[in-house]
Amino acid sequence: MAHDSRIMAEAADWAMRTAEPDFAAWEDFTLWLEQSPAHNAAYDHAVMAAETSAEALRLAPANDGAPPEVSDTPRRNYRWYGAALAACVALLCALWLWQPGAGEEMYRTAPGETQLVQLGDGSSILLGGDSALTLESDQTRYARLDQGRALFRIEHDERAPFHLDVGSSTLVDAGTVFDVAIRSAQIRVGVSEGAVIYNPEQQNRMVNPGQLLTIASADGSYRLDQLSTDQVGEWQDGRLTFRDASLADVAAEIAAETGVDYRVSPGSRERPVSGSVLLDPLKSDPAMLGELLGIRVEREETGWVLHAE
Amino acid sequence: MHEPDEGLQAVFLANRQALLRFLEARGARGDAEDVLHEVWLKLERSAPGPVASPMSYLYRIANTVMIDRFRSARQAQLREAAWSEATGDPEGGVSEAPSAERLVIGRQMALQVDAALADLPERAREIFQRSRIAGQPQREIARDMRISVSTVESDLRKVYLVLAQLKERFDEE
Repeated sequence: MAHDSRIMAEAADWAMRTAEPDFAAWEDFTLWLEQSPAHNAAYDHAVMAAETSAEALRLAPANDGAPPEVSDTPRRNYRWYGAALAACVALLCALWLWQPGAGEEMYRTAPGETQLVQLGDGSSILLGGDSALTLESDQTRYARLDQGRALFRIEHDERAPFHLDVGSSTLVDAGTVFDVAIRSAQIRVGVSEGAVIYNPEQQNRMVNPGQLLTIASADGSYRLDQLSTDQVGEWQDGRLTFRDASLADVAAEIAAETGVDYRVSPGSRERPVSGSVLLDPLKSDPAMLGELLGIRVEREETGWVLHAE
Repeated sequence: MHEPDEGLQAVFLANRQALLRFLEARGARGDAEDVLHEVWLKLERSAPGPVASPMSYLYRIANTVMIDRFRSARQAQLREAAWSEATGDPEGGVSEAPSAERLVIGRQMALQVDAALADLPERAREIFQRSRIAGQPQREIARDMRISVSTVESDLRKVYLVLAQLKERFDEE
């Protein structure tokens, strides 16, 4: 569809201005939109053009890895900022709770939200939806994941390894990017860079890139599987992949990342599900999940209920 | 769940009409009431606490919802299967393909974007990346790059236009 070139220039201008966090001229913008439906179409077009271009540059820098000359913003953070930005457009971020005096800083996200937590040493933690993380103010190399999932990008320090507690398990980094998710009866840890050591005091098991560690919450027993490193932290790009996961876990994870209230009918909770799901489309069309997973989805008062056929 | 900030709630209720008018102009048409409800739910879920400029904040959420809807509608159109791989299903044997394919498309797109930006001053690309990828506000970009805010804005405006034109050519193909 061709747009009038003057309209396109104006639309590009509005797309640029409305993307600024402190944009305030919404009434002027409304007036411009009301002048013609073509204005709105051109605006959507310009917004998508900027979004897909930025995404393309982010995912696949055409200049083959040579970082743009950004002196004081480390390049590795781009992915993070980008994801955080996409997920919580314009400060519509997660809750941040701080308990003064307790020595603990708690971070809590609502379903459908993410939050980027920067640590003082350059490490960062991207917290997924419906998740809870605790930091200790006097221990800079320690965190506890209480609920949900998080992607850790840890600056390695030989002399001060980073410790993460998840339930009764402890993970220690060895220079590391890793993703942790708490499920109903399991903890899953995927590693994409460096390595993670599971319970150094007991199992002392090293988890390498491309491996998925699944810990049984009940007794700490574990299993190692293969995992594509692309899939580590893929939820930050709006995708979740499941392999023989129970429908109950799948529903809970998708609900946490999208904010859609999915539940599972009592008889269907254990039904195994495999597949890779894009999250964004589900936000506007929750019933689509039925088609994707080959199940029945019903709108009920309490939310969207999944039934295995 | 979380109670939205009372100030925001009050501002929302007092400005329902203005928000509806905005949503209609943004193409929501008959769905404007539904979208407004969605904005309300988002507000409830995010409980942002005190906000410096509540009305701008509400407009921004409304605009974001419309952008999400537009994107979803496009994606649904493209039927770019939100689903791949089903272990054991012979027809679903496309396991890693989507991400690889996405990467290839992304690379092609990145090359096109690069080519399109080549005509602009070199700093324009960096400004765009700082703005869209690192999420820096224009003021900060100006400070970091030691140029004026109006230079940042004018470069960014050119980039947005070039990209909109690029996408137009893309869509026509």
